[in-house]
Amino acid sequence: MPKPTILPFLVAALSAIAPATARPAESVPEPVIPAQVDRREVHIPKISANDIEIGAYTGVLSVQDFGAKSSSGLRLGYHATEDFFVEGTYARSKVSDQSFRRLGIAIFKTEEVDLAYYYLSIGCNLFPGEVFLGKNWAMTSAVYLVGGVGNVKFNGENHTAYNFGLGIRALPVDWFSMRFEIRDHMFASDILGKNELKHNFEMTLGLAGYF
Amino acid sequence: MCVLVAFALPVCADESNERVLVADPYLELHTGPGRGYPIFDISERGERVEILGRHTDWFKVRTARRREGWVSRAQMEATLTGAGEKKTFRDVLFDDYLARRLEFGFSFGTFKRDPLLSAHTGYRVHDNFVVELTVAQSAGDFSTTSLLYGALVSQPFPDSRWSPFFALGAGRFTNTPKSTLVSAIETKGDIANAAIGLRYYVTRQFFLRFEAKRHVALVNYDSTNHYTELSAGAAFFF
Repeated sequence: MPKPTILPFLVAALSAIAPATARPAESVPEPVIPAQVDRREVHIPKISANDIEIGAYTGVLSVQDFGAKSSSGLRLGYHATEDFFVEGTYARSKVSDQSFRRLGIAIFKTEEVDLAYYYLSIGCNLFPGEVFLGKNWAMTSAVYLVGGVGNVKFNGENHTAYNFGLGIRALPVDWFSMRFEIRDHMFASDILGKNELKHNFEMTLGLAGYF
Repeated sequence: MCVLVAFALPVCADESNERVLVADPYLELHTGPGRGYPIFDISERGERVEILGRHTDWFKVRTARRREGWVSRAQMEATLTGAGEKKTFRDVLFDDYLARRLEFGFSFGTFKRDPLLSAHTGYRVHDNFVVELTVAQSAGDFSTTSLLYGALVSQPFPDSRWSPFFALGAGRFTNTPKSTLVSAIETKGDIANAAIGLRYYVTRQFFLRFEAKRHVALVNYDSTNHYTELSAGAAFFF
C-alpha cells in the first residue's frame, strides 16, 4: 500500500514549492547598477571624401632657345590636408628648331621633335578666398604655390627637371575646379654646346573633378 | 497623398547620410573647406546636423534649418553619433584612419651622385609590415637609369611619430647611355637593395620619409656594382 502514504507527501511538497518559486521576485533586491550585457553597436558611417583630383590642362610651353608651342597634360592630385596637396602631372608638347634652320643650322634630326614631361609636386594653398559672380553666386578659390621634381624628355634625352609655379583655383561646385597656372620648368642641358640651366615657362588653364 | 509623398521624399533622400548631434555649445559653418573661409552661420547644441561629405579634414554639413556649410574636424569630433550613443564622432574618425592600408608616396634623392626621382605604392599587410613597389628614374649627365623593385618594409614602432623602418628589396634595372655618346649600349640586370629610414607623421594620413639605401646591381655573372641612394620624400594613406 505505498500510494496512500506518498500522496500526502507529494501534496505537501508541491504546496511548499509553489510559494517558494513565487517568492524570489519579491525578496531579491533590485540591482543598483543595471548590467548592460548588450553588445554596443559600433556603427561606422560612410562619409564620402573627395580628396582626389583628376584633371586635364592645356596651355603654352616656351622652351628656352626654341620658341613656344601648345602643350596639354593630365593631372592626378591628392589633397592631404587643407594646406597641402601632392600631384603628379604628365604633359606633351613639341619643340621646333625652325629658327636655327633658317640660319642653316639643324639642332634636331627633324624640324619638330616631341617633348614629354612628368613631375611629382607638392603644393601649398596660400590664400583661400571667394570669387563673386554677380549678386547670388560665390565660388571658393585659393592661390597656391607648387613645386616638384620630374623629368623632361625631348630629342631622345632625359633631363632631371625642377618646376616651380603659382596658380589660382576656383570651385564653382564642390566636385569641380578650374585653374590658371604659371610654372617654370628648370633643367640643365648641353644641347647648344654648353651645359647650362634652362628656364622654360608654361602657362595653362585646367579643369578637374574631385572624387 | 501627393502632399504626403512630397513631405516623405526629402526625408527618404536624407536617410543615407550620417546625422550627428551637436554636443559643443555650437558648430561654426564656414563657406569653404579651410580655416581662412569666413563663418556665415552656426548650429547650436542639441541640434542634429547631416553630414554630406568630406574634403581633407573638413566636413560639409546641412543644419536643421537647411543651411549648408563646412565644419572643421576638431569641432566635428565633439559631436555625438546617431541614436544618442556615447560614441563620439572622434572614435568613428579614428576607426576610419586605422582602416586605411594603402599608401602612396614619392621621394627625391641622389643615386651614385646623380639625381633620383622615385614613386612607391605600399600595402600594409600587418601592423609592422608593408609590402612596397617602387619605380625610380635617375637622369644623369651620361646615362639614364630606371629601377623597378619590390620590397618588404619592417616598421618596429608603427605608432610613434618618428618611426624607424628597415627594408629589403629586389627587382630590375635598366641603364641607357645618352644617345650622343659613342658605343652607347643599354644594360639590363637584377638589382637587390637594403635600406634604413625614418618616417615622420605630419598628420595621421600624411608623412615624410627619409632613407639611406644600398643597391647591389648584378651586371653579369662575375661582377656587381654597388650604389648608395640617399632620399627624402612625402607619402600618404588612402
